[in-house]
Amino acid sequence: MTPHAVSWAWVVLALPLAGTVGIALGWRTLGGRLAGWIGSGTIGLSFLAGLAMYTTLEEVPPPGRHLVGSAWEYVGTSGVHVDLAVLVDPLSTFMVLVVTSVSFLIHVYSVAYLDSDRGYARFFSYLNFFVFSMLLLVLAANFVVLIVGWAFVGAASYLLISFWYRRDTATRAGIKAFVINVIGDVGLVVAAFLILSQLGSLDYAAAFAAVKSVPRDDGVLIAACLLLLVGAFAKSGQLPLHTWLPDAMEGPTPVSALIHAATMVTAGVYLIARCYPLFEHAPTAAAIGAIVGTLTLLFAATVALVVTDLKRIIAYSTISQIGYMVLGVSAFAYSAGLFHLMTHAFFKALLFMGAGSVVSALGMTNESIDRMSGFRKAMPFTFATFTIGAAALAGFPLLSGFFSKDEVLSYTLHRGGLYTLLAVLGYAAALLTAFYAFRMVFRVFFGEPVEGASSLERGDLYHAEPRNPLTGEEEDTDVGFPGPEHHIAERAFSMKAPMAILALLAVVGGLMAVPGLTAEVEHFLEPSFAASEHLHEKPPVSEQLTGLAIGGVLALLGIGAAYLVYLRRPSLARSARERLSLVHRFLVNKWYFDELYDRAFVRPGRALGRFGRATVERVLVQGALVGGATGVVRAGTAFARAIQTGYLRAYALLLLAGVCALALYFLIASR
Amino acid sequence: MPVLDIPLPIFLALPFAAGVVCLAVPARYARWVALAGAAGAFAYTLFMVADFAPGGTGLRYVTDVPWIPELGIRFSLGVDGLSLFLVTLTAFLWLAATLAVALRRGDGAFERPKLFFFHLGLAESAVLGAFMAQDLALFVAFFDLMLVPFYFLIGQWGGHERVRATTKFVIYTLLGSLLMLAAAVALGVLSTPRGGDISFALTDLAERSLPESAQIPIFLAFAAAFLVKAPAFPVHGWLPETYRATPLPVLALLSAVLSKVGVYGFLRVVLPILPDASVALQEVMLVIAVFSILYGSVLAFSQDDARLVVAYSSIAQLGFITLGIFSLDDKGAQGAVLQMVTHGLVAAALFLIIGVLAARAGGSESLARLGGIALRAPVLAALFLIVAFATLAMPGSPNFVAELLILFGAFEDKIVFGLVAAIGVVLASVYTIRFFQAAMHHRTGPAVESREIGRVDLAGVAPVVAVVLLLGVYPQLVLGLAEADTSARLHEARQLAGGASERRARPAPQVTTPGATVPGEPAVGGAAPGQGAPPPPAGPPPPPGGGAP
Amino acid sequence: MTWFVVLSAFIFCIGAAGVLTRRNPLVILLCLELMLNAGNLALLAFARGHGDGAGQVFALVVMVIAACEVVIGLGLIVAMYRHKLPIDADEMSELRG
Repeated sequence: MTPHAVSWAWVVLALPLAGTVGIALGWRTLGGRLAGWIGSGTIGLSFLAGLAMYTTLEEVPPPGRHLVGSAWEYVGTSGVHVDLAVLVDPLSTFMVLVVTSVSFLIHVYSVAYLDSDRGYARFFSYLNFFVFSMLLLVLAANFVVLIVGWAFVGAASYLLISFWYRRDTATRAGIKAFVINVIGDVGLVVAAFLILSQLGSLDYAAAFAAVKSVPRDDGVLIAACLLLLVGAFAKSGQLPLHTWLPDAMEGPTPVSALIHAATMVTAGVYLIARCYPLFEHAPTAAAIGAIVGTLTLLFAATVALVVTDLKRIIAYSTISQIGYMVLGVSAFAYSAGLFHLMTHAFFKALLFMGAGSVVSALGMTNESIDRMSGFRKAMPFTFATFTIGAAALAGFPLLSGFFSKDEVLSYTLHRGGLYTLLAVLGYAAALLTAFYAFRMVFRVFFGEPVEGASSLERGDLYHAEPRNPLTGEEEDTDVGFPGPEHHIAERAFSMKAPMAILALLAVVGGLMAVPGLTAEVEHFLEPSFAASEHLHEKPPVSEQLTGLAIGGVLALLGIGAAYLVYLRRPSLARSARERLSLVHRFLVNKWYFDELYDRAFVRPGRALGRFGRATVERVLVQGALVGGATGVVRAGTAFARAIQTGYLRAYALLLLAGVCALALYFLIASR
Repeated sequence: MPVLDIPLPIFLALPFAAGVVCLAVPARYARWVALAGAAGAFAYTLFMVADFAPGGTGLRYVTDVPWIPELGIRFSLGVDGLSLFLVTLTAFLWLAATLAVALRRGDGAFERPKLFFFHLGLAESAVLGAFMAQDLALFVAFFDLMLVPFYFLIGQWGGHERVRATTKFVIYTLLGSLLMLAAAVALGVLSTPRGGDISFALTDLAERSLPESAQIPIFLAFAAAFLVKAPAFPVHGWLPETYRATPLPVLALLSAVLSKVGVYGFLRVVLPILPDASVALQEVMLVIAVFSILYGSVLAFSQDDARLVVAYSSIAQLGFITLGIFSLDDKGAQGAVLQMVTHGLVAAALFLIIGVLAARAGGSESLARLGGIALRAPVLAALFLIVAFATLAMPGSPNFVAELLILFGAFEDKIVFGLVAAIGVVLASVYTIRFFQAAMHHRTGPAVESREIGRVDLAGVAPVVAVVLLLGVYPQLVLGLAEADTSARLHEARQLAGGASERRARPAPQVTTPGATVPGEPAVGGAAPGQGAPPPPAGPPPPPGGGAP
Repeated sequence: MTWFVVLSAFIFCIGAAGVLTRRNPLVILLCLELMLNAGNLALLAFARGHGDGAGQVFALVVMVIAACEVVIGLGLIVAMYRHKLPIDADEMSELRG
């Protein structure tokens, strides 16, 4: 008999899929906001099913909390045996709960936000498909199903990034995201092969059980782990595969909140945590993961200091925060990393929702913070929730980010050696984080009200000809670039409610893991990581509290600095920019990664295509081979034509010669 | 099951007979007759699939009578797990294409429908014959017979420079066929044991092994024919012009089915009969495969003509199939068989969709002139999206499972080739998404009139998409039935290859239940179900087997 | 018997040379006739030499065929004449590839 938890897992999966198909088929008939409510409803039910899965799993005694349910044989041939199977354990349950809860709130937010978009049903169909894919990813019981879910979320992400498909910028961002994600998929495929050949199975349980029979730090195992990291980094926007994530902000804001902040991009973190037996057995790979995570969190924090597009600032902050998570899980602090994943989902989704509300108030014309200021009075609710989100991001004492980020760092510090350095860098970036988080708050909500803000204070929502903020091109409102109407949180209940809930969670979420007092997340996840060698390597409470104190001080310092630079002495920012223009330009250009890839891959690829078409195709294929083949045929026919002179005597002569030759042959042969 | 008492020759002749009847009846009824023929053939294949036991062992429904006894040529047909789904694919796609042609009225309809359907039926019979032939001479005959109807279909109903294109196509592929004919004759003669009877039966030929020095030239001749047909880089010269000239429903079949006959030949003829040469020239074939993948992909994303995008992508996809076959690994070959089926499906669907797109862009198939079609055609966009994702082998599509197995097979012994080929997967996503976006997204093109896909086109495309989805959820349907017969074809070559580079010792013995089989034995031992294990490669040439009279 | 054969070969050569060198179809026809009769002579000579009647029968058949051939050939020449075509074998080279 299938355990109840597994049955609930299938329900969790089935609901969003049903929503996808239902909305897609009913696109013509679902009028008004019906599609949106159906989409939200399925995800809400899915969340409830997730809760049921949680409670039924809790009934199982901890050592047995690893339940696998298989639907049918997916591939079974010549040594590759893979079932379409789900795995229910605390880790997957944790992810299911985070994903479905945040997704549900974002769905509800979108019900109003996308209200006047022509692609309303399409949007919710995609969004449900995304949730389905993400759930498939976290519930997978083997690497092949994981890869399927992995690619599905990539596809959903692509579809949603280029949702407003008439904007060239959106389609270009979509193709970029998709291709980089495919690079990650290929990494996973190769990793899966190495795991199969080295460990003899593609099932998590069997593969992880076999890992002990391989020598520690085995070369192939390290290669497999590094390839897993390639997949993880591509999905999670880590160096050097991060370039798609900022561009992905072309999608509608709820998409940025859901996929590119709260859920999909954390899949890499989940993957590393899921494959922890491999990484613990190949510590070199884990160390590389930790180093890349640290570099990423620093890199992204520096870029976030100077970028002016509001959503892109949040995007870089996402990259940076995921760097913390990767650092955490690579330093074997699994529950800390996953705890940060959860709190980050709350406050980052909240920040995006707030940003969406502000951008709406400006009539969707631009997303640059240079054109925003003084929204505090006009949008008090958005201001309050956004500030809570930013404070949680900055690690303001007692908010959720404060506890989770510092837990990651204090675990890292505790591991010592190389990790001490990484933790110090992490603290440095925390200072930058606080600074840029409040740079957004101060620039957007304080200062002189811009036109959008002042008109809103008078009670009118600002309207403008929609233009693409990147190209200045006039938007084609036909394919709903957000449609003719805009919605802000202050006026739409279905936007307000999710933001309020998330703000609450961002404030109190941290209380689940106060050092020395609570350790809910850790206790819940413990059975999943029971085999870990580092399970009990915890920093003592005193060390954790010291870490918290340092983090709190850094956060306050960063916020203070932002206050000084952006509110008290605005000239300071300008003069700093002028004095450090070289650094500034370097950062504004995002360390020139895009240019580098353009030069290194895109252009050579195009050139190669041209070369192939113009030269190889013409000279070798058409010239030498086709020419050769037709040449032989042509020469043959030319010869045959040449002997057809038409002169009777020529034929007669040939005839005679032939007869003579035959006669001669027989004469000689008869000897 | 009574239906299966109908012998294969009748099934084989059914489409051709329908074609002949098409000539006789008034033009109005021709389409219905053709449809009935195609539908009948497809129904028969469905019965075969239902009838086939999982792990299908050996040939079934065999017909084996002397045809030209003086030359030892037999009319020998049969279906096994390897050919089952190719036969089914053929019948299915022919039905879809016939449907797409037959339902058209007015301007879109083809002229001279009687003759058109006759050629279509003849072509189907020829392809089915090639897939079912169990005698090399018969295979060669059907292989060349395929060319005849396509010559007329392209030459008479084609577009853009059709005469030139047809000439090129025919000459190029005929040259390959000639080489194959010569090779087949040489093979039959050389392998005849002293005092024995000449035989072209594939099973006999596989038993009578030739020395490696004789195998290699024969292998090269076969490879030339099959690679031209596939086509593979660099012998794809006929492809661009032919693809541009061929009418779309015919092109769907040309690209989806005909191209598979070549690679099928590798599995059916070359590997079992010429195992030594296959092993000796393995790397040559892998290089060709990898080059085809990369070259096809790179060219596919630099094309403007929608047909050529798909054309070059076919080169890449067939490169994957070749890679899987010549990885000489069970997984690779399994993947290759699945890929033959799935690529057939998506290629056919893509060409039918190109037809739909062109109808909305004033007849233009240039990517620059398409665009924005998704606006008022969400159903078309959804279908196209699914097909596009399947084409780029997105996980979850059957193509992914196929490429996964192919890559796994390639990684097994030839990891460098596998890794280079994996780049092709990334490139596939570039050109496919580029094609999809150029057609469906962006601003509306200059002459584009966006409207929903019509019922007629839907009748052709939707079933194909449905099958793609079905196989995406349950690819084991194909894999399970094809497994035993595919690996049997590979058996000898794999053993030879295994002798050269001993299978890498697995450091990790299976942790899961080491009971049942002897753990120390190399696990391949169990892989030869029906076939008696052939002697080790170094052994003396086997005594005359005495071909079955 | 040798002399008969030598004579036959001689006549055959004369005929062959005529066919190859002359341009008037009438003369070519005559020369063809010479060749055929040279063959007949050889047949008869061998038939007599071997004491076998079959050769004579063959000679009769050849004569019949020669008659048919002359009829067709002359008919063609007459037709050409009627159409005012030049009576010249070299002028009629439309078979040239």
